[in-house]
Amino acid sequence: MTTREILTLQLGHYSNYVGAHFWNIQELGFDYTGTKKSECNSDILYREGQNTKGQITYTPRLLLADLKAALKTLPASGGLPDENIQEDFHWNAIEKIQEPKAEKNEFLRDIDTKAASDVISKKYTLENDISTWTDYLYTRLHSRSINIIKDYQHGNENVSFDLYHTGKSIWEQEFGETFSDKIRKYVEECDSMQGFQVNFDCTDGFSGLALSSIEHLVDEYSKPILAHPIIASYFSDNNPTTQEERDISNIKDTIRLVNIAFSIEELSQHATFFVPLCTGDKGWRKPGNVRAFEYLNYNSELYYHSSAILASAIDTLSQKYRHKSNFYTLSDVCTDMTGFGRKMAAASLGLPFAMNESQYLIDYLNTNTKPIYTPITPSCKIATDKIFQLITVRGIPENYLKAPMKEAREQMNLPAYKCNNVKEMFELYFQANNFLSATNVTVCEQPLELKTPYPQIFSKSLNKYGFISEESNLMKVESCPVIAGYHNGTFLSDMIEKLHREVSRIKFAKLHKFLEEGCEEAEFKERLDKLSEFKDNYEDDFEL
Amino acid sequence: MAAISLLNPKAEFARAAQALAVNISAARGIQDVMKTNLGPKGTMKMLVSGAGDIKITKDGNVLLHEMQIQHPTASLIARASTAQDDATGDGTTSTVLLIGELLKQAEIYISEGLHPRILTEGFDVARNKALEVLESIKISIEIKRENLIDVARTSLKTKVHAKLAEILTDACVDAVLAIRTPDKPVDLHMIELMEMQHKSATESTLIRGLVMDHGARHPDMPKRVENAYILTCNVSLEYEKTTVNSGFFYKTAEDREKLVAAERDFIDQRVKKIIALKKKVCDGTKKSFVVINQKGIDPLSLDAFAKEGIIALRRAKRRNMERLALACGGSAMNSVDDLTEDCLGYAGLVYEHILGEEKYTFVEECKNPQSVTILIKGPNKHTLAQIKDAVRDGLRAVNNAIEDKAVIPGAGAFEIKANMELQKYKDSVKGKARLGIQAYAEALLIIPKMLAVNSGYDAQDTIVKLQEESRLSPDPVGLDLSTGEAIKPADLGILDNYVVKKQIINSCSVIASNLLLVDEIMRAGMSSLKG
Ligand SMILES: Nc1ncnc2c1ncn2[C@@H]1O[C@H](COP(=O)(O)OP(=O)(O)OP(=O)(O)O)[C@@H](O)[C@H]1O
Ligand SMILES: [Mg+2]
Repeated sequence: MTTREILTLQLGHYSNYVGAHFWNIQELGFDYTGTKKSECNSDILYREGQNTKGQITYTPRLLLADLKAALKTLPASGGLPDENIQEDFHWNAIEKIQEPKAEKNEFLRDIDTKAASDVISKKYTLENDISTWTDYLYTRLHSRSINIIKDYQHGNENVSFDLYHTGKSIWEQEFGETFSDKIRKYVEECDSMQGFQVNFDCTDGFSGLALSSIEHLVDEYSKPILAHPIIASYFSDNNPTTQEERDISNIKDTIRLVNIAFSIEELSQHATFFVPLCTGDKGWRKPGNVRAFEYLNYNSELYYHSSAILASAIDTLSQKYRHKSNFYTLSDVCTDMTGFGRKMAAASLGLPFAMNESQYLIDYLNTNTKPIYTPITPSCKIATDKIFQLITVRGIPENYLKAPMKEAREQMNLPAYKCNNVKEMFELYFQANNFLSATNVTVCEQPLELKTPYPQIFSKSLNKYGFISEESNLMKVESCPVIAGYHNGTFLSDMIEKLHREVSRIKFAKLHKFLEEGCEEAEFKERLDKLSEFKDNYEDDFEL
Repeated sequence: MAAISLLNPKAEFARAAQALAVNISAARGIQDVMKTNLGPKGTMKMLVSGAGDIKITKDGNVLLHEMQIQHPTASLIARASTAQDDATGDGTTSTVLLIGELLKQAEIYISEGLHPRILTEGFDVARNKALEVLESIKISIEIKRENLIDVARTSLKTKVHAKLAEILTDACVDAVLAIRTPDKPVDLHMIELMEMQHKSATESTLIRGLVMDHGARHPDMPKRVENAYILTCNVSLEYEKTTVNSGFFYKTAEDREKLVAAERDFIDQRVKKIIALKKKVCDGTKKSFVVINQKGIDPLSLDAFAKEGIIALRRAKRRNMERLALACGGSAMNSVDDLTEDCLGYAGLVYEHILGEEKYTFVEECKNPQSVTILIKGPNKHTLAQIKDAVRDGLRAVNNAIEDKAVIPGAGAFEIKANMELQKYKDSVKGKARLGIQAYAEALLIIPKMLAVNSGYDAQDTIVKLQEESRLSPDPVGLDLSTGEAIKPADLGILDNYVVKKQIINSCSVIASNLLLVDEIMRAGMSSLKG
């Protein structure tokens, strides 16, 4: 069977945090021994190649973008060894201007020098050692992957890359040309591409950059595009203490809000399917309260933590079209989820899927009264009725399904007892719990592996395998079962409504920065109107 | 990349006087960084990032993009200078130096109590006079190879080693001449710049045809063919699987297969049409057939082509569709219905070159190609980037000369001449505005001064020498960097672009004036900073 390749675009600093975890999860999960039965076809996201030294490489089929000074210790060439022949003749006077050498933290030093197995089992307190996503990136990238926007510097408060339109104009410049040529080179290599995955920061200039690149993908390649507009869990101006700080924070919130609205509006035109992600419950004007996961303790101010949660979700959700069987592709997922022009859906995550170590799935589902997943899409409450949903469950061993006949006792009385596998049981569960809904369940045997540098954010009541146990555990949680879903239905009109209302309140006159970048009031109004038209797609009830 | 932070960004914008001082010092800060770049003897800058990334450049424009400029005034100057480069492709370093110098000269007068407004009025008058001088030293040229070589060489020698500059000079001039049709503007996009990481930079060369950065994706396709018909097209030859597996609605395996077969057949028909044309034009001849497609070609289609001995390339650059038609003739097809021989282009030789994981396809020996490729070779990434930047500058220099139908003597000749004329002119102007003219005249000398200093000569001695010589000579006089003596640059083939100098004169006066009239600038600055 041919591989149905995917090209991933990862645009923006927080998205790169998410991406770093995502690629770490892939790479640390590779099975070099052939003992673990991987269900995932890694060639879908990775490509084999050769570096200039003639060594075989295996790197993500990935293009990412960030600002100047965001890479710290990672060379822009991706970090793989590269042949570096010297020039045959020299200029007579050369002035060397050297930045101080960027310090590698303990983890990065270890992966340079130690065996992978030593690093994976070692404990680090990376929380204090991470100032950018490259600080915990295990994966090495192809020399084509990294794209730096040179006109803007990461963390520069004076000239910041904070507007939708700034991103659009960067695309119009040389950056766009180089970037689209790199897309072409990746696509040229693919025999049977299934589509594109675009994860991007939708709160700053990367929003415009992402939409420009998506528009380009639409023009040039007729392939499905799945986009995740992402809102970071925290912004440094979120807790102002003085009036001045409050004012600044307010202005920044406004700009971020407008960028989000523009992103959603334009995604509704160009993307095939998109799902906003955020670990804060609101997303705007501030990310809001942290989404609670009962068995996680994470600090939303640390991107390193919150981005791991989103990476776990993306990894789980994408299992469906990355499966070795090659049965479902992005195109199937997109079509299934976007009926009635409802191109936007919500996502949810149960991390871990919190079962007791001594409990059967049937009992758990039967007695559980809490939601089995948490929404990770901002400002939305996932409805239980009249929805379309794709659910992926991973890492629940079949022997946890139900008790064998002899010991089953009351279980026998449950209708679910006739289910023969995890998939059937979940299907029944959703049938019973979601009125007038269509659910498609994908089950993967493998749990989510939580190898270093995945953050240690798990509750002490989880055992090594991510199941709840009675005793307190000192062992590191090494893997856990996960549930994740895409959900679509009328409930999303609420979210668009909230967004629209919030943005409508802004006086355009206050958006002079946008005006300076060439966004006129008429455009602003038109975008708002289109957003509201998009909402209409979610208004009418559909019939199954 | 490399941190060359200029001044503290948290500069206060409170009071005008202070702001003026801030502006002047920022302008000088950026001038200091750039001044050693100027001219063919300027220093090359090697920027090394904290992670070890290397960037080598002598180009003012590239350097400004690489630097981390924090100060708003400095970044204003930087933006003005890069705008200069966008417009003409050259003169960034000179722009930065001149703005800095104008402010420096102005500072002297302002500190003595002169109002900035009076100075800027003088600048304005001086600028017009300078433009007149520029007009007077302009050398008209006929568009011929030998007349373009000098201006290209002068530009390239300021960016790369002399030996390499010679090679690139020929490539740039010949490339532009190849794609040019008399009396029509040249579209430099029709010159492809292709990088190849390989041995020696001196193997860079002009290819009279097209080099593409991809190759055939089928092992059985020929690696080299002669006498080739070229079919350029933008037609999907890839079976795009529409949704056949819904998670919600059940389709039988049989239904799915039917769907797939129908679509597959659709693509197969297209492939067959191309093969039919190939057979028609090639069978019984020694000719071969190459398909270059902007869209995808899937393995089954590749297979069919390979069986017929056809080379097929997929996902060609959009721009290469146009280039191919210009290089080989024929036209880019959007459909495979009604294909005829007329649609096809021709190339005497098509072959593949493999370098590690990179593949290149050369389409050469074209009849009268109107699109060509400069193949840039270099031992490592940063050298390739440096050469590419230089070639871009060289091409723009040639094109500017063609559009101007003129060049001007370089090596500081304009500045010496304009300085002299302005000094004379100043005496005919009444009032304090003459002080502005004086300052302007003085500022121009920064160019010959820095050319001298960068070659190891004393700035003042050089200026005196050049001014003396200039008074005696009817022709413009410039500086010979290898002897430190006065020369006639035109005789030695040191020629610059007219339009570049014109733009420098215009933009420098405007920016410097704006920075001097601080009140207004600061208010504008405030609003965009508050943000
Ligand atoms: N062989 C030469 N002898 C003397 N002067 C020269 C020679 N070649 C070039 N020059 C002078 O060098 C100056 C151009 O230098 P350079 O190209 O480094 O800077 P620039 O054009 O101002 O900026 P950019 O960095 O954008 O090219 C011009 O004034 C030109 O006349
Ligand atoms: Mg120059």
